[in-house]
Amino acid sequence: MAKPRPVAGIRPKSRLRPNARRILGVRIEEVFAYDGIIADPARVTELHDMRIACKRLRYLLEIFEVAFSSDLDPFLEQVKRLQDILGDIHDCDVQVPMLVEHLGWLEARETEAIRIAVAAPARRPGARASEAAFERFQSEIEAARRVDERPGIHALIAMRRARRDDLYTAFLDEWRAMKRQRFRAQLESALGIASADA
Amino acid sequence: MARAWNVRGLKDDSRFTDAAGRVILTRWREMMSYREGTLAGDDIEDLHAMRVSSRRLRAAMDAFAGAFPAKGFRRYLREVKTVTDTLGEARDLDVAIEGLEALRDEMEPVAQAGVTGLIDRYRQERTVEGVNIADLFARLERERFARGFERWVHTHTGVDVARLAPRPPVADPER
Repeated sequence: MAKPRPVAGIRPKSRLRPNARRILGVRIEEVFAYDGIIADPARVTELHDMRIACKRLRYLLEIFEVAFSSDLDPFLEQVKRLQDILGDIHDCDVQVPMLVEHLGWLEARETEAIRIAVAAPARRPGARASEAAFERFQSEIEAARRVDERPGIHALIAMRRARRDDLYTAFLDEWRAMKRQRFRAQLESALGIASADA
Repeated sequence: MARAWNVRGLKDDSRFTDAAGRVILTRWREMMSYREGTLAGDDIEDLHAMRVSSRRLRAAMDAFAGAFPAKGFRRYLREVKTVTDTLGEARDLDVAIEGLEALRDEMEPVAQAGVTGLIDRYRQERTVEGVNIADLFARLERERFARGFERWVHTHTGVDVARLAPRPPVADPER
């Protein structure tokens, strides 16, 4: 996770507003620094880092809104919307590898259960073979196998991948709309920060 | 999601250090108000609310880092991060279990066994996370973390938590 950039020039003994401006200016820049990079849907880490940057900005707007006379709620809602979509994308990016890992876990459990069944005393050399013993062995092996659990996991993986695609499209739409509406310049203006986007 | 508690006495012309003390102590008490419910584990929303509050607290600490000396600050921030992360592990499993249960009913019968197996696995892991949370809070209690933290904030901001008396939004008539 990207660490927040240090904010220079904080003066603890002075008032809230000038310090809040400095801090928010840096955090706004952090969000917009991802513009361009996140045009590639495979940039999983950067999309996650952008979500964290949005979260920081959102919480800071909540904390500092008392220091400003402008209504910051529309900006807060916009940042939250973006953060939520990025959060859902991140959930998919985390869940797919977890589901793939679960398939491996199922296989490992299956292998272990079969190893135990095969090593049972009735199967040791010299034990008397019988039809009943074979059927018991067969049913133990059948119980140990977990093939019936795999289709559900494969289905979940496919569903998560499809949802990820949809979410990424929604994210790009939202981000482009924010840029079209000059979100950054509007927010900086509301905060009294000299805009980099002007 | 639980609403953030109002920060009492915070004004547009507050000094940075005073605002730091008020916001951080309010978020701290807000987070700790969910401790009992989280430990009881009867309602997953208590843990969720506590985690959200811990994030708000972290954000407040990041915002007001400039009001505190770096050394002590890092230690306290690290501990708050441990709370967020520990709660996060459990929360992720709660969300996964809830989501999978809802999804299972919509899936083809042939796919349901796999989802049930996955839910069972996550439930077992969630039990372990419950123990981790209890261990964490027991350690913080042993180390008297709450008292140390509240004193440390008071020392550097002048804000006393007893006088600030943070409380949930419905009971706050000042804002």
